[in-house]
Amino acid sequence: MDSFHVLTEVLQRPALLAGPERLTGINRTGIFGYFTGTLGAFMFMRLYSAIPPGVMSFMMVFGFVIALNLLLAAVIHLFMEMTDAPGSAHRLFTAFGYSDYLLTLLLPLGFIAKLNYIPPFVCIFLCAGLVVYARVMLIKRVYPVSVNKALLAIALPYAAFMTVCFFGAIYSLAWFVWLLI
Amino acid sequence: MEENNNSNPVPGPQPAPAVSPAPAQPAAGPGQAGTGLWLKVIAVLYVISLFAATTVIYKAEEAKKSKEKKMDMSKFSSLVKSKKDAVAVIPLYGVITQGNSSRSWDKGSQQVARRIKLMADKKEVKAILLDINSPGGSVGAVQEIYTAILRAKRETKKPFIARFGEVSASGGYYVASACDLIVAQPGTITGSIGVIFSVSNFDGLMKKVGMKNEAIKSGKFKDIGSPMRDMTPEERKLLQTLIDDSYAQFVTAVSEGRKMQTDKVKLLADGRIYTGRQALENGLIDKVGDLQDALDAAGDLGKIGRNPRVISENDPLENFMSLIDSKLGLFGSGAMPEALELTPRLEYRWYGR
Repeated sequence: MDSFHVLTEVLQRPALLAGPERLTGINRTGIFGYFTGTLGAFMFMRLYSAIPPGVMSFMMVFGFVIALNLLLAAVIHLFMEMTDAPGSAHRLFTAFGYSDYLLTLLLPLGFIAKLNYIPPFVCIFLCAGLVVYARVMLIKRVYPVSVNKALLAIALPYAAFMTVCFFGAIYSLAWFVWLLI
Repeated sequence: MEENNNSNPVPGPQPAPAVSPAPAQPAAGPGQAGTGLWLKVIAVLYVISLFAATTVIYKAEEAKKSKEKKMDMSKFSSLVKSKKDAVAVIPLYGVITQGNSSRSWDKGSQQVARRIKLMADKKEVKAILLDINSPGGSVGAVQEIYTAILRAKRETKKPFIARFGEVSASGGYYVASACDLIVAQPGTITGSIGVIFSVSNFDGLMKKVGMKNEAIKSGKFKDIGSPMRDMTPEERKLLQTLIDDSYAQFVTAVSEGRKMQTDKVKLLADGRIYTGRQALENGLIDKVGDLQDALDAAGDLGKIGRNPRVISENDPLENFMSLIDSKLGLFGSGAMPEALELTPRLEYRWYGR
């Protein structure tokens, strides 16, 4: 089945992402979702010259997105396993690919932002909000959890990252003060 | 006899391995067909917008490289009449100094030049009004703002209007001379076209307290302007050449900005001050009026009509930091040297204020 049909099926029956029945091409369509989402975000950043041009630049961003989502899926799965919610990290990773299709909205929004009708950060927050919402719903499909737990599962990796950055900043400040004194 | 040997049952024929069910492909209903159609439409639109974005980015990169044409997205936005057109107001208050470039909330010439560029680059800004209330300042700082105005005018072709408050003398007038129109109150103090180099002399004070200063230098003019001793006639002559050169730059700027003959400017530029009304009579300003008159004139020049919308770059964080700075400065050690102005400097400044 080609990606269009798979996507149509998944939109009609989202349970396919987590159920025993596995469509042919469901994983491929998930990866394609990562690709198109990353392409939309990449073009948005290129409109603002926020990223270097070229295929290599895009491949690096794509690689980073895949790696980040693998890590997120793994961390969320670990959290779910520790809190007695069975599921599959592989299916979660695939499902996240479907949520990344929403990032393609960044492309038309980027045009509108470049014409100064809306600020660029509004576009980013809007798309990020939609992706987070979609991911919360997808986590609920893959794992038998409540909305709040799904939201917590999404926020945890970022909270951990922020904590590490915070401690790094405090350490740097202390080191700088020590250096001056 | 039947043997009922249950301990070693003979295995029966092995069942055929279960065939995994073929992936489900239910018949497409009308809902699915509709969803599929929508997906295809969105995909086509996405591909089109991808091509459009690539073209826009490519053209923008080409424009940046060649610097011939700039990608002007406003051509698309002008299809819808903008209600956001405005006049930008940039204040220029107090003595003009360079300021601290590392602090964005500082009110120095670098920050003013940055604001001029920022406002001139905004699409909705159709004219820029400089609200000047300054007795002038250091030559370098004044010229920084002056060149920023000229560059912005050259690049954006937008009109600049200067409006004088209580005082706009010397360096304040230098900056205004780059503008297309100058509006002042009849009682505004302006003029003081000239240069000054002032240095304090603490020789007598040091002798009183029994202090001595010695300078070992590589050249005889190395400590020129030193506050620790009297100036020599040679040094005075050298400094006079500096003053004369800076004065010539000032006269040229006024002559070019006001479209006046250099000789006529020199007649007016003996350092005297003028009221706004006198300045109007001798051609140093264009119009007598208040801030509203200046805004109306700016609106007319920017072709957006009288009583235009006004915008000013008013970052709350920068205002807060500037306030903190000014309050802390009352206790700081920088206040005394600043007050005594121990560092000699070349200035376009009127010392009457």
